[in-house]
This record gives sequence, structure tokens and C-alpha cells, in this order.
Amino acid sequence: MRTVRAVLVLSLSLAAWGIPRGQAGIPALYTLAQARSGHRAYEHKCAACHGKQEQGLVGPALRGPIFASPKANYKVRDIFLFLSVNMPAYAPGSLTPKQYVDIMSFLLRQNGFPPGKTALTDAMASTSAVPLLYHGRLQSPTRHARAGGGCGQRPSASRSGVHPPPPHCKRLVAVLPGASVHSSAD
Amino acid sequence: MTTIHALPQRVRRTVGAGLLVALAYAGTALAGAYPPVTDARLAAAATDNGWLMFRRDYAGNSFAPFKQINTHNVMNLHLVWSYRSHLKQGYESTPIVNGQYLFITTPKDHLIALNAVTGKVLWKYVWPMPGVGFKTVCCDVVNRGVALYGNDVYMATLDNYVLALNATTGKVVWKRQLKPADVGYAMTLAPMILKGMVIVGESGGEYGARDFIQALNAKTGALLWRRWTTAAPGHLGGNTWPKGMYEHGGGSAWITGTYDPSTDTLFWGVGNPAPWLAKLRPGLNLFTDSLLALHPRSGKIKWYYQYTPHDTWDYDGVNTPVITTLRYRGTTYRAIVHADRNGWFYAINRLNGKLIYARPFTRATSVAGFKNGVPYTNNALRPAMNKQVFTCPSFLGGKNWWPISVDPLTHLAYVPTIHTCMTMKGAPTFYHPGLPYLGESFQVVHDPADRHWGALQAINIDTGRQVWNHESNLPWDAGAMSTAGGVVFSGSARGHLYAFDARTGRVLWRSAQLSSGVIAPPSTFMVNGKQYVAILAGWGGGTPIWGGKMVPVLKNIPRGGHLYVFALR
Repeated sequence: MRTVRAVLVLSLSLAAWGIPRGQAGIPALYTLAQARSGHRAYEHKCAACHGKQEQGLVGPALRGPIFASPKANYKVRDIFLFLSVNMPAYAPGSLTPKQYVDIMSFLLRQNGFPPGKTALTDAMASTSAVPLLYHGRLQSPTRHARAGGGCGQRPSASRSGVHPPPPHCKRLVAVLPGASVHSSAD
Repeated sequence: MTTIHALPQRVRRTVGAGLLVALAYAGTALAGAYPPVTDARLAAAATDNGWLMFRRDYAGNSFAPFKQINTHNVMNLHLVWSYRSHLKQGYESTPIVNGQYLFITTPKDHLIALNAVTGKVLWKYVWPMPGVGFKTVCCDVVNRGVALYGNDVYMATLDNYVLALNATTGKVVWKRQLKPADVGYAMTLAPMILKGMVIVGESGGEYGARDFIQALNAKTGALLWRRWTTAAPGHLGGNTWPKGMYEHGGGSAWITGTYDPSTDTLFWGVGNPAPWLAKLRPGLNLFTDSLLALHPRSGKIKWYYQYTPHDTWDYDGVNTPVITTLRYRGTTYRAIVHADRNGWFYAINRLNGKLIYARPFTRATSVAGFKNGVPYTNNALRPAMNKQVFTCPSFLGGKNWWPISVDPLTHLAYVPTIHTCMTMKGAPTFYHPGLPYLGESFQVVHDPADRHWGALQAINIDTGRQVWNHESNLPWDAGAMSTAGGVVFSGSARGHLYAFDARTGRVLWRSAQLSSGVIAPPSTFMVNGKQYVAILAGWGGGTPIWGGKMVPVLKNIPRGGHLYVFALR
């Protein structure tokens, strides 16, 4: 419900600002070509720490309702500033401006922002006050949706709400002598 | 090259998190009676047969009095059992042992109890963090282990809980959250037990948290005292910050402190100020990068010593302050020794906080020297907007958190070391809860004067001078442990447990290659008259994330956790 309310507020605001809107009034800030290029750059430069599915590894997840939450109150410019100044962590600022913008485009797409006809630019990303909220999963141009449900998954989300991990993921596990065990999450 | 993977199946165990089994079998059925951990046992932890706390005893020496494994027979060590965990992040936990119970933690706050002799899993607890994004955890989702008291075991978590669990069953006794997750705070340290309190410290210096050291009642979880590490106006040090900046000034307290019973003083190190760019916060910014001497019952400050004034290089002062006695230029001192991130090895009088001596243990240019016992910095090496500097060591430090060991027999401190420098330049930043708050861009590079990335070196605590040095092509990111058997143990990034001659540094033994690199400290313990050595392998931590030019040479180190326990044949 909070997500729906946020989208509504956002839509009204964007209409006033003249920013192109996609489905459900979500702003279209980048082009599909940028997201595709950003995906390739992400896999080379970001995935080692943030995971191939942006699910988080040694660095935080960059996709989903926990990352892009109303509570976090991120604007696009907030994330882009840190991305373009301090990432990748092993060589901050080492990518081209185009690569940073493309990666930002890819992250927007992975958080449910639709592509549009107008390309994102460095200047736009650096100043965009558009709230970075998770709007659900778009069908990926380069990747099939993945099944969730394991303990290693972040809670999945849809427009109907956030789905917590299965109950078996969160409790004491005693291992008895001779018991067979498996290792899905550890 | 033989690897531990190739060892017989019977010593390998793979256990996962996904299985829920009823608790019909408590640990006592599998590891015997659990010996309660009393205040008296903690006070005498140095001589206990187990390994009861983070650095073995309150002094933090990580020195064990056991001689069964010694310089003459250490080459006969062999693997007794191992336990595998498949989480792919870094493993920084010291194996903690009481009786036949051995406790480790894994990344993302899993706590596992095993039989110390057989490796049989007694219980496993997976702390649930379903809504946590780990957004303000800078340097891998690590946990550095547990504390023990009474019949309970304690863990601090990435979402800022302190947990007490029953040591034989794993059932939660109490839990207390100190701060919400993802707004700047996180905890990665092993708690400390002292006088019926559990004491922890918060991380968050990279996110503008105002950090603190917190004491809780160990039996109930009730909050007892909180020592903020950035000083507010009207308090000691409150005039060392521009207006209001202490509120987001960092000062994380992310490594367990030490305790001196002779003066009833709790020592705790404090991390970097926020934001990193010092020009944004003129002043000394107390008590960042400082050693705090505290009244343990109240958290009030007795004295402090700031290792790096007005830090702009991320030189956290958290590395373990080891309590010892040394003789310097003919005078005996009750001292603290400490190898700082800023590249200097400090000896400080633990009665009054006065510097005894300081010497660089790696290339150190940011802190240029000392005047009347107070460090001064090279202001030309302070970055600014549009000003890039080159200075040493890098923000990863001459050493990072990996604890030193101090051997009272040799009077040597064994110091894990990295040889790095960095470029650093000012950059725009702003404070927003849950986002980094740095104001600098940077890259870690090689120390141009040293062709190795790392070393384990021995420093004479009576002089501050190096006695031996074991250089490594890869960074040396693991803690050290020494024993009365004349052996120093530590693990390498390439994945070997090393045994050095404590006096000479000669390599006496090197394990077969473990399944991953080592970033954790080892421990040792005696059960039924037999000495064991335990070490967790599991590459990760801050180096492979922030290591700059080191990262390419480290990228092929396998990931995953593996606890190994060795003993003599």
C-alpha cells in the first residue's frame, strides 16, 4: 500500500516537472540501450561485490524493496553521486562518465523503472531528485526472472507487498548425530 | 601442492543452514557437561585450558601457556577434524573454547557450537535478518566471534542486536537492539564480558553514525552505560568539533577492548571521524582515532590518547591495545602496546596515558612525528577538493584490525602488516542516513619502497624495533597467536596456517593449503591433556573490496568458510 501511495505522489510530482513517465506513472529516465550497456559494465565492475543478480554479497544488494525503500528515502542523485565518486571500491572514479550513467540506468531498470526514449545524462543523474523506489521487477532484456524461495534470497516483493523468506530460514538449527544435512543457505 | 580438500573424508563435515531439527539432543549429550564461565575463570583466562575470550585474556596478549606443541614437534601437526560452511563472505571469527564446546560465528551472524574434539555439530543458530539490507556495513558482512559467561554465549549482530543464547542448546535467552539497521550502524565485533556486563561497540564511521561503546547486564540485557565516542558540547572534548558535527562524526568502536585489573581500567579503541575529508570538520575531533581509558562501571573517561589528530586518512585507532610490561631505556613501564592503522607502533603508559615511545612499523608519512609525546601530521599530505595527495600507509593501514600477539617470554609483538600507500583527493559528500559519508576519492597502491604486499613481523616491545620479518607476496590479513612452546601461529592469504619460531621467525611448519585464504586469528586449547590449534579459513573482509591495486592479485582466492583443528600425531 505504501508503494502504491508513493507511486501516486510521484506521478503527480513528475507531471508537474515534465519528466517522461512510463507505465503506472513511473518515470522513464533512461533508454533500453543504456541499461543493456550498463548491465555489461555492472557484470565486469560491480558484480564481484554486489552479486551477479544485484542481490548483495560482500556489498549491499542494489535491487529490491529493502534497498530502494521509502524509508531509505534515496534520490537518484544520491546513489549516482556515490557511484560515480567512490565506485568501484577498488578503483574509485576509474570508469568513464558514460559507464557510470549506463550502470545507473541498469540499476534503475532492475528496480522497476521503465526505459524511455530520452537518454539519461551525467548532468541529469547528478541532479535528479526522483525518489529511488523499488517498483517491482521488469522483464529483463538480458536475463530471465529467477525463482526465489531459498534462504539466501532477499524477501521478494511485488505490487501486492513484500514476501518474507520461508519460515525455515530464521531459526535455530540443531544437527543430530548421523542426521543428513544440506547446505542451501550456508 | 597438497590441499586440505584432499584429506580423508572422515575429517570433513559439511553442514548447512536449511535444516530444522527438534532440540531433543542438547549439547550436553554430545560434549559433556558445560563448565560455567565465572568471573574468576575469566580473570584467569590466560591459564585456562580453553580459549574463553576474543584475545584469550583480558590483557589481549593472545599468548597461551601450552607447551605440548613446541618448536621441536610442531612439524608433526595434522588435521584432526574440519567443518565447512558455504557462505561466500569473509570469516573473521576466533574459535572460542570452553571445556569440549567450541563456538564460531560465520558471515551474516550464524553461530555454531561444535564438539572441540570430534567436530560434531552440537547446534547451530542462524540469526534472522529478513528486512536488513546491509547498506551500512562497509567491509564485508563479517562477525568476529562470541563471548562466554555463565551458561550463556553472546553475539553482536550486523543489525545491532546483542544476543545471549544458552551455550548448550542455542536457545535465545535475551536479545536487545541498540540501533536500527541500515541507518549507519552495524556491529561486527566479538563482545567482551566484564564484571557481569557484556560490552560491545558500534561500527559506522563511513556512514556518519555517532558511535558508542555500550555496556549491558549480561544476565538480562538491560542497558547499563553508553560511552559516546564523539564529544558533545559541554563535555570533555566537546570543543574539538565544529557546531553539530559530532552528531554524525563516526568514531566507531568496532574491535573488542582490553581490561587492566591492576588499575580497574577498561581500554577501548575508537575509529575514524566522519566525513573522511578533514577540511569539513576543523578541530581534533575527539575521541576519534583514540585510545580511551574508561571506568568499567560507568564508562567515564579516565584519560585518552589520540593516535592520529584530525584524521583525514581513515586511520581508525581500534586495533587491540595490548596490556603488558616493558622496559624502555632502563625504566620499567606498565604499558599498552598497539600497532596503529597509521603505521606507528605505540607504547603508552597505562597508568596515565603518556607516550613511552612510537616507531613506524611500515612506511608512514601521514603522521610525521611526535612532539612532547603528541603526534603531529604532515599537512602537505592532507587532501582537499582539487588536491590529490600520495601518502602512506593507505586507509587500510599499516595493519588493519588483525590482532597482534605479545609473547611475555620473548618480549616480542607479532604484527600482521601490509605495505600499501594511496592516492587521496577531496570529493563532494553530504550526510544522509544509510549512505556513505566520505568526501574523498582514493586508491590503494603498492608501497613503492617494498615489493611485498604484506608481512608478519616481530617487534621488540622494549625498543619498538623489528627483530624478524616474514615477507609475503600477498597481504598478511590474519591475526597472530603465540605459545609457551615457542611457536607463533598465523594464517596466510594463500591459505596456509604457519608456525614460526617465536624468537627467529623461521618457518617451522606450514599446513597443506586450506580451502580458502585466512583472515581470522587462530586459537589453541587443551582437552583431556591434548593441545589443539584451531583456525578458520574464509577469504574476504575489507581488502578484496577496497584493496585497489591489490585486488587483481587476490581475485582468484577461493571463497567459502572452513574451520580446521590440528593436533600432534
